[in-house]
Amino acid sequence: MTHLRQTATDPILLAIVQKQLDHVSRQMGWVMTRTARSPIFSQSHDFSCFVGSRHGDVIAQADGIPIHTGGGGFAIRAVLRDFAGRIGEGDVFLLSDPYAAGGNHLPDWTIIRPVHVCGNLLAFACNRAHQSDIGGGAAGTYNAAATEIFHEGIRLPVLKLVEGGVVRDDLWRLLLLNTRCPDLMEGDLAAMLGSTRIGAERLAELLEKLAGDAATVLDAVLSHADRSMRSAVASLPDGEWEGQDGSDTDCFEEREVPVVVRMTKRGDTLRFDFTGSSPQIRGFKNSSLANTHSAVYMALSSFFDPAIPRNEGTYRCVEIVAPEGTVVNALPPAPMTMNTVYPAADIVHACWKTLAQAAPAQACAGWGKTGYGLSSGRDRRGRVFVMYHWGASPGAGAVEGRDGFGCMGQFTTLGGLSLPNVETSEAQFPVRILKQEFRTDAAGPGEYRGGPGVHYEAEILVPTEHSIRGEGTGRPSGFGVNGGGFGAVGSFETSEDGGHTWRRLPRYGVEQARPMRVRILSAGGGGWGDPARRSRDAVQRDIDDGIISPGYAQKTY
Amino acid sequence: MTVVEGRLRIGVDVGGTFTDVVVVDATGRTWAFKSPSRPADPKGGVLAALDVAAAGLDLVRSEMLSRCAGLIHGSTIATNTVLERKGARVGLLTTEGFRDWLEIRRGQRPDPWDHRSPFPDPLVPRSLRLSVGERIAADGSILRTLAEDDVRAAAASFRRAEVESVAICLLHSYRNPVHEQRVAQILAEEMPGVPVSLSSVVAPVMGEYERGSTTVVNAYVAPRVVPYLRELENALAAEGLGPRLLLVGSNGGAAMVEEMALRPVQLVLSGPAAGVGSLSYYEADTGASALISIEVGGTSCDVTLSRAGKVAATDQLDVGGSAIVTPAVEIHTVGAGGGTIARLDAAGMLLAGPEGAGARPGPACYGLGGERPTVTDCQLVLGRLKPGPYAGGAISLDLARARDAVRRHVADPLGVPVEDAAAGILSLVEQTIQHAVERVSLERGHDPREFTLVACGGAGPLHGPATARALGCRATYVPRLAGVFCALGMCNADVRQDHVRSFPGELQDGAGDSLAALRAEVDAMRAEALVSLRRQGFPEEDTATVVSLDMRYAGQQAPIRVEPDALSVAALKEAFEREHARLYGHLQPGGRIEFVNLRVSGIGRTPGLPMVNLPPSEVPPEPGEMREVWVDRASGWRSTPVFAGQALLPGHRVAGPAIVEEGTTTLIVGAGEELSVTRAGNYLIPAVERAA
Repeated sequence: MTHLRQTATDPILLAIVQKQLDHVSRQMGWVMTRTARSPIFSQSHDFSCFVGSRHGDVIAQADGIPIHTGGGGFAIRAVLRDFAGRIGEGDVFLLSDPYAAGGNHLPDWTIIRPVHVCGNLLAFACNRAHQSDIGGGAAGTYNAAATEIFHEGIRLPVLKLVEGGVVRDDLWRLLLLNTRCPDLMEGDLAAMLGSTRIGAERLAELLEKLAGDAATVLDAVLSHADRSMRSAVASLPDGEWEGQDGSDTDCFEEREVPVVVRMTKRGDTLRFDFTGSSPQIRGFKNSSLANTHSAVYMALSSFFDPAIPRNEGTYRCVEIVAPEGTVVNALPPAPMTMNTVYPAADIVHACWKTLAQAAPAQACAGWGKTGYGLSSGRDRRGRVFVMYHWGASPGAGAVEGRDGFGCMGQFTTLGGLSLPNVETSEAQFPVRILKQEFRTDAAGPGEYRGGPGVHYEAEILVPTEHSIRGEGTGRPSGFGVNGGGFGAVGSFETSEDGGHTWRRLPRYGVEQARPMRVRILSAGGGGWGDPARRSRDAVQRDIDDGIISPGYAQKTY
Repeated sequence: MTVVEGRLRIGVDVGGTFTDVVVVDATGRTWAFKSPSRPADPKGGVLAALDVAAAGLDLVRSEMLSRCAGLIHGSTIATNTVLERKGARVGLLTTEGFRDWLEIRRGQRPDPWDHRSPFPDPLVPRSLRLSVGERIAADGSILRTLAEDDVRAAAASFRRAEVESVAICLLHSYRNPVHEQRVAQILAEEMPGVPVSLSSVVAPVMGEYERGSTTVVNAYVAPRVVPYLRELENALAAEGLGPRLLLVGSNGGAAMVEEMALRPVQLVLSGPAAGVGSLSYYEADTGASALISIEVGGTSCDVTLSRAGKVAATDQLDVGGSAIVTPAVEIHTVGAGGGTIARLDAAGMLLAGPEGAGARPGPACYGLGGERPTVTDCQLVLGRLKPGPYAGGAISLDLARARDAVRRHVADPLGVPVEDAAAGILSLVEQTIQHAVERVSLERGHDPREFTLVACGGAGPLHGPATARALGCRATYVPRLAGVFCALGMCNADVRQDHVRSFPGELQDGAGDSLAALRAEVDAMRAEALVSLRRQGFPEEDTATVVSLDMRYAGQQAPIRVEPDALSVAALKEAFEREHARLYGHLQPGGRIEFVNLRVSGIGRTPGLPMVNLPPSEVPPEPGEMREVWVDRASGWRSTPVFAGQALLPGHRVAGPAIVEEGTTTLIVGAGEELSVTRAGNYLIPAVERAA
């Protein structure tokens, strides 16, 4: 066992400080959910609060969505780079641009508030949050037709939004002028400022108490995480493995968009080299460097013990090589708003595939990729509505000891965004949902099977604009591991004659639709292990439950 | 010789390990007793506990029961049935096309990162989740009539599968229950004698997953819980108990067996929710109206907030992974108790909890086989608990074992003295409690500095003052009967039933009668509440109803609860905006305001417990002994006065550091603090003004 004596830090103080830092980041989250205006924060929790060190390392991020893990350091370091020597007390910074300012994608705006104690810069309190609208070619930040980042909204370099405690009015007006929802943005920015102010106050209290030990203790928090991850990594055998995932569409046409990664493990270090991945693509599924790092970190932290802390120390033992001009490190002006979902999911899957070879027992099978869309228009009272068909979420992949979850929200949040009730959707939107039930024979087979996904059908009662995201409808996406099989591919169709004739939809795009019926079969998750080893009881239960048919069971199990 | 005077109120709180009994006589004097619970024979356990109490009062059981003016019971039986998965074999009927919401669970997992942990199996397997043709729209209109043959076919399947209890949850039944009612009629013909739970009765609110899950839990526990309640009531009546047996529900209020039998799912917080009765009992004696209680037992700490006599409420509970939406006291529970285990992680970081040692093997110092250091071991190492007989002599605390556990597992690996390790572990646990208090206060828009912290449970008073200091609370208050907080609360519980109905609609200005439908609905609910109270024997002057509404801005998901002064557009808007501003710090000028649910609480007032104020003592108290106690990091070991609780009388003041030993708990007063004994004989430690 490694002892903390090595760090020369009081071990009890260290334990308390680590928990307190997590608590401060959570508390910033409470303030955010309580004060933000847009439902995207209070209900979907699409934001992350984190604490940074004076060097720009994320030290605590207890309150965050998985695909934000580890991207925050890029933003703090951009502030340190662009404002070196000019970071004063009472200043607050704002940024978003993934190319110029360490952002992950344009809709995520990051507020970075320095924390000074006795005149010394010691830490940062930060909040990264998805804005409701930032201009660009489509309302709501996702423009599936974008071919350049300029089509996706306003780009923010590192800005000094607050100078010496005073908000810069000129900048504030510029920001509000570039959104379709200035009221929401004003409220949300105020909430972000408020949450980081509380965070900074609590950090200052803590750091004052630590006095001269502050820097050492914060470093020790990072090195504890470093040691934790290294000991997990060291448990893998040395070697090199390759994994590949990716897409079969660039949003405009069917084509291969591979994400290839070669993982090298030596001692207690890991290297992920993405050489060989697809060149950047025309559509908005290109990744920024910050987002690619986040995706690799998410793959690691979801693979190893979730009790290992997730700060920047955790990933010191990880080297990432992402060649410029590829889909995992695009050059301007490639569009990239979709990247926190795709290619993030492809990156996590590719990394999981390499890890699965190194440690088969811990392998994670792939989650089905999404194949839903959103319907927007005006309801019968003339009010604008936007409805995501979340009810058609895919099945998750299996791991040893558990079957895949049947129908689980957004993979890159690890299911952190919850699914709506049918009754709520029908009360809110001009829609009647006809079916949401597990698919039969769709779960990836295995000793532990994947999640089956669902058969979802809904009648949309008014004309709508229908935006399509058919990532999981081309070919099976929930891969199996250790002899487990793929979950079934998804499909996405519409009918304008009450379900008599159906039309397959393009993979991505926007259509104007009359009242219609939507039918989505969501993709199944992959299986873990040889189906022949599945317990007979479990096979029988699946037959009794109708998750698999007797004929399929005969053939597969 | 104990002499009880007049009629008695008796609270019986059955926990996992112990059953607590509190008896209050007509003069307000209180007695507390503990006896082991009998999970395999719950009725026998209650009767045995009553024997212990009667013996302590020099009475026999039947004599005590015949003098009883009210017997109120809380039990973990419903919760344990769910947690231990010992409920009935349930069949579930859903609307065609929607068999799976119980298993999809809206995709919600407690910790997204921990994706390797499976969901618990659904309480009803898919093969017993059958659907019937029918459809009701969101506005309550019937889109497709009920296919009655489907119901009969499902009943036949259920009979073959030997289903013991049926749950029905059809889409939008909260708006229009006719199909559920018809299904229930058919089932009564097809499956006579099998209990049926209707979602439109159990939890008539929007959201098929939460409403349905609640209904399933109700069906799951009913055949295990209801017979027990009936048998217990009969046994007590046979022994001379005059009044009807009352049970405490999750909302902290009491109800008769017949009322509870309609919706036994309301019993899931039966024990802990009774703390509400204690908070209202002690409120006057604390001298404050803003209270946060921390009840620390062997494994966990329950935190509850109460302000101006109103306790924070919720209707979103989770028991063993099952969502339950019935009105309940909001209790935030964290893994911090006497049995909480400390350890180092693989990279040498000190952690305390959430894992605990339970009652067996328990802390290392119990000498029952526990080897790892717990919070109780640390208290013993630091001299705050005394070696030797503990918990009424049931256990003996062994200091050497405690020191050894702390040294081997924490102090030596970290390279620190045993005292530092023990104090460090306690600091970590107190930090967990502190964060839990912030969660129920700060996160809900309350400032903990305005509150008095009520420290209770056997282990709470040793953590209270440190927690209050860290949060800047106004004072720490420790009831002398801290160890039986909930059983005492039962004696002070009103009868209370919360009725909820879904009422989707919009708050509109102008239109003259826009609220007519709402008022009619509220009147109907009030009438229903009053009928129920009359059934339970309350004369009109002892009843009250409280109306509240769940409201939100259009587009928001989560509504907030509003208690308007009147049912007018202006009053509703004012009340909504006031609460929204308090919770969220802003309003949406011009935003549309929606109704979600109507709520009517029917309250039957029981005679409140009299608080006995004693005359102040003229004679200063004497400590029973001086003991070496490790006070804090600055003070280290100090010879510290230890007072026996019975030596401390109203008006007494004790300067810290000091220890007070009560029958069911121990209290520490920090250096620089001063404890005073309140008029009712409880303990108050005000915050010390600190230099800025």
